[in-house]
Amino acid sequence: MASVKLTNVKKIYGKNTLAVDNFNLDIADKEFIVFVGPSGCGKSTTLRMIAGLEDISGGTVEIDGVVVNDLQPRDRDIAMVFQNYALYPHLSVFENMAFSLRLKKVPQDEVYKRVTEAAEILGITEYLTRKPRALSGGQRQRVAIGRAMVRDSKVFLMDEPLSNLDAKLRNQMRAEIILLRKKIDTTFIYVTHDQTEAMTLGDRIVIMKDGLIQQVGTPTEVFDMPCNLFVAEFIGAPKMNTFKTELLLENGKYYVTPFGAKIEVTGDKAKGLAEKRVGTREIVLGVRPEHFVLSKQGDPCAISCQILVNEMMGSELHLHVLVGDNEKIIVRIPTVSLTDEQRRSLVQGTTIYVTFEGKVMHFFDEESQTNLLV
Amino acid sequence: MKNEKSTIKKSSIGAKTSRTVANTIIYIVLVVMTVVWMFPFFGIVLESFEVGTKAMDSNLWPIEFGFDNYIRLFTETKFLKWFGNTAFMGVFTALFQTFFILSMSYTLSRLRFKGRKGLMNMMLIMGMFPGFLTLILIKKVFWDLGLTDDMAPVGLIIVYCASSGMGYYVSKGFFDTISKSLDEAARVDGATRWQVFYKVIMPLSKPIVIYTILMGFMAPWGDFMMAKYIINGDPNGMNVAVMMQTWLSKNLLNDNYTMFCAAAVIVAVPVTAVFLALQKYYVEGVTGGAVKG
Repeated sequence: MASVKLTNVKKIYGKNTLAVDNFNLDIADKEFIVFVGPSGCGKSTTLRMIAGLEDISGGTVEIDGVVVNDLQPRDRDIAMVFQNYALYPHLSVFENMAFSLRLKKVPQDEVYKRVTEAAEILGITEYLTRKPRALSGGQRQRVAIGRAMVRDSKVFLMDEPLSNLDAKLRNQMRAEIILLRKKIDTTFIYVTHDQTEAMTLGDRIVIMKDGLIQQVGTPTEVFDMPCNLFVAEFIGAPKMNTFKTELLLENGKYYVTPFGAKIEVTGDKAKGLAEKRVGTREIVLGVRPEHFVLSKQGDPCAISCQILVNEMMGSELHLHVLVGDNEKIIVRIPTVSLTDEQRRSLVQGTTIYVTFEGKVMHFFDEESQTNLLV
Repeated sequence: MKNEKSTIKKSSIGAKTSRTVANTIIYIVLVVMTVVWMFPFFGIVLESFEVGTKAMDSNLWPIEFGFDNYIRLFTETKFLKWFGNTAFMGVFTALFQTFFILSMSYTLSRLRFKGRKGLMNMMLIMGMFPGFLTLILIKKVFWDLGLTDDMAPVGLIIVYCASSGMGYYVSKGFFDTISKSLDEAARVDGATRWQVFYKVIMPLSKPIVIYTILMGFMAPWGDFMMAKYIINGDPNGMNVAVMMQTWLSKNLLNDNYTMFCAAAVIVAVPVTAVFLALQKYYVEGVTGGAVKG
């Protein structure tokens, strides 16, 4: 259990390949932080710098108030779970989990107690005598987590621990990690490229791109108020629809005019625009697929569009539709909200009318790509 | 239709015949090669049991079987001493060489430092020069240090081990196949680099460790050129190869030929025994389940 503080952390590979730059983050004691971003964004590199597996090119990393830049991994009191499990193939599951305790010369009784306790929590007691090669992927990952658990270390690092599992097992393990977190109660730093994992696991999420932090916030914050277009499109699935349009200020009210429709901005969004004294201007408008609703012809708020693909996901329909000048957007409609007749009519080629409420939109500056309200 | 069928049948018979012919030829060639290859070994074993010393007589099969040559070897010569010298060199060369080669290979496989590529290339190129280029100089230096003649076994161990790190190539290739995340996991678990090496990497590298030990152990048994110069003719410092070669000189050949064969058989014993004892590790793959799979 410890806080972790990164100040101006930088990583340069070779002469001038900048992998991570200007990384500043305070991680509180017992917090669950998730680094998320597309591959090559520097999230794993940052984690490995905290672990001591990569040299830090600039800045400082502190664990529990102590600068650890020059400490070996073994002196940092951290535990880590690797993407490919990295179990010692020549040792049994028990010995794999006991490895770090044996190095510390922990008495045999204590080793036995801690390993069996961890195995109990993870449900791998019956595999303790097996070698890793006789285990399935999910079991191996449990052993890897168990090996990190018995350490009782200050910080728990996880580098894409679920990416090698199939979708079903991944969902199951994700839920188990949430439960596990309550039992272990330590500081977690978790790296993933999967925004679902980030949203469901993290107390706070750090979204990265090209070695730079884009936004740090709780799942709700980054979802409701993405600070730029990248975050807006990265968080949420299917991704947010964005299109260029005009923001109008008429008689103290704001309107957007996408594809011929005219929709009033309401709620906090309208207040925010007024506070920032935004006038009539060109913007990039962002609307999440789930915020669209079906509308009727003739409604001034309705956007006319043509269905290109209809993906039936079970509980909802994902409609890929063409609007305006051949722009594609995705509309997500809960199946339960549709009449049987409507469901039958939503086929490829059909023209439909959609709209969205005034309180759910996001406004971005086209050039700087930043959120106008942040 | 009928015609077509018979053509197919005919051609399949033709294919079968030509395959049989090809196989027969291949087998004949292989058998001949095997006989040519095995003949000297059988010859030496058989000759070693011949009573009498005559070389190159017309009979390969001994006229009279007996252990005379073996008895002569241990009673009339210092063979035990020479055998001991060679075994001593074999054991210590195997030990030191394995240590040097494996630590060098592991370092080159895992650590990234300035000049690493250059160093590797330099060692590869230097390894291409024949070892005896340095013969005269080594002899001079060892002479001054007193590591020749009866001290030759010690000197030779130094020679065999000194440059052994340059033979990093095979084992580095092996270490490269072991996932680096195992090293990282162990380091995070609290291991030093040395502990990672002997607690994680060594147990996973049995085949290559055994290979390196075998190579180290076998080297002194067959070395002649370097040994001859360093030993300088001192009977107390001899290894088996140098001593046995003296028996093959023109005027000694007829008296010693069958004894030479007996010595050759005895020399083959430890090498064969070590190989048989260790060969099962050679094929044992232990990395299964290390990383995802």
